[in-house]
Amino acid sequence: MQNQDGQPAEPETETISSLPTSEVNDWANYRDDEVMQQHSAIQAEEAGKIPFVGDKEPLSSLAEEYKSGNPILLEKIKVLTEQYAAIRRTRGDGNCFFRSFMFAYLEHILESQDRAEIDRITVNVEQCRKTLLSLGYAEFTFEDFFSLFLEQLESVLSGKEACISHEELVQRSRDQSVSDYVVMFFRFITSGEIRKRLEFYEPFIQGLSNTSVEQFCKSSVEPMGEESDHVHITALSDALGVPIRIVYLDRSHDDKGSVSVNHHDFTPAAHEVTDANTGGAVALEPFITLLYRPGHYDILYPK
Amino acid sequence: MSTPSRKRLMRDFKRLQHDPPAGISGAPQDNNIMLWNAVIFGPDDTPWDGGTFKLTLQFTEDYPNKPPTVRFVSRMFHPNIYADGSICLDILQNQWSPIYDVAAILTSIQSLLCDPNPNSPANSEAARMFSENKREYNRRVREIVEQSWTAD
Repeated sequence: MQNQDGQPAEPETETISSLPTSEVNDWANYRDDEVMQQHSAIQAEEAGKIPFVGDKEPLSSLAEEYKSGNPILLEKIKVLTEQYAAIRRTRGDGNCFFRSFMFAYLEHILESQDRAEIDRITVNVEQCRKTLLSLGYAEFTFEDFFSLFLEQLESVLSGKEACISHEELVQRSRDQSVSDYVVMFFRFITSGEIRKRLEFYEPFIQGLSNTSVEQFCKSSVEPMGEESDHVHITALSDALGVPIRIVYLDRSHDDKGSVSVNHHDFTPAAHEVTDANTGGAVALEPFITLLYRPGHYDILYPK
Repeated sequence: MSTPSRKRLMRDFKRLQHDPPAGISGAPQDNNIMLWNAVIFGPDDTPWDGGTFKLTLQFTEDYPNKPPTVRFVSRMFHPNIYADGSICLDILQNQWSPIYDVAAILTSIQSLLCDPNPNSPANSEAARMFSENKREYNRRVREIVEQSWTAD
């Protein structure tokens, strides 16, 4: 999904229109489902080259990737290196946002042992369960996904018999039977939140895809492998009450040619923490930072 | 052996027994929860009215993360159904999601009968007839309905 050399990918339509007519006609002999099967086989092969969640790598590996690429990107990576130490790549299978979020969140709990955060998110998860029920989802279609996530949450907290090591967390995140269930759990949460706050999300969704909220959830949120956009991120962050920082690495720059790296914090709407001394609202610093390159999310580690 | 997919299929079955949507029925084969037989009844007041169409659903241990393979056993004449009975329907392919249970799958196929998608034809003759000669199309559908009563 990511562009290895930092050059823009050729639009696919161009390739197709330049084919001789006879070849185009040949395509008519293939069944849709066969074409789709082949398409997913190619995707699986590409995706198989990197695990669901990779190893932590120094940020220099990012610079290496763009070595002979776009100078703006190289400049931006230099700026990134001042603030961030490492990157952990995720597989470009359309689930990379949810997968990155999963690992970054569980890793944070494992390292911080923040019991209060677990208690807090558990309340939100129960709220999401009620949301889905009130939207008419049958409980048996989503309960396994909820239990599996709550199990992972418990397992990263020490003092529990089943507490797992960091290494085991990495292994689990690479195990499809755990990893895909957690990704799907987040998809349920995201879809429920969007449907619940339909009026709020409607204009964003219309801007993105010109479809109804219902259709958007059915075709772009609930199926595995559908890529995430700011709508998904906002909804997941709101529903779980977890702030998320997204750092953007693209080729944009200002008129003077100077580069800076933009980031955007997704702060949950209902996440106002009151300062005990001043009584004012405190903006929470996100503990999850993801690197966005057009079409793909990875995990970033601050220095 | 109890696996997540088998446990989930038991719950799918329970739901289908207790709260069956109109015009569909389905059940696992005697010794195999991974292989189901189902029947879809042609919706009333449509050319499909009165038809009883048999299908099989083959599940894998990846269910519900992956859809089952669904096939009509009865002969069909429909723009989105191939000659071998397999079905061209988005939720059975790239738009699959675990929110669909067996009842939801069968209901979607039932509504596909009267509401074909002519943009992804699996049977080009049926697709052409559907858009160019509805009268002849409906006649062919009636033939299929009658065959569904006698065929085993």
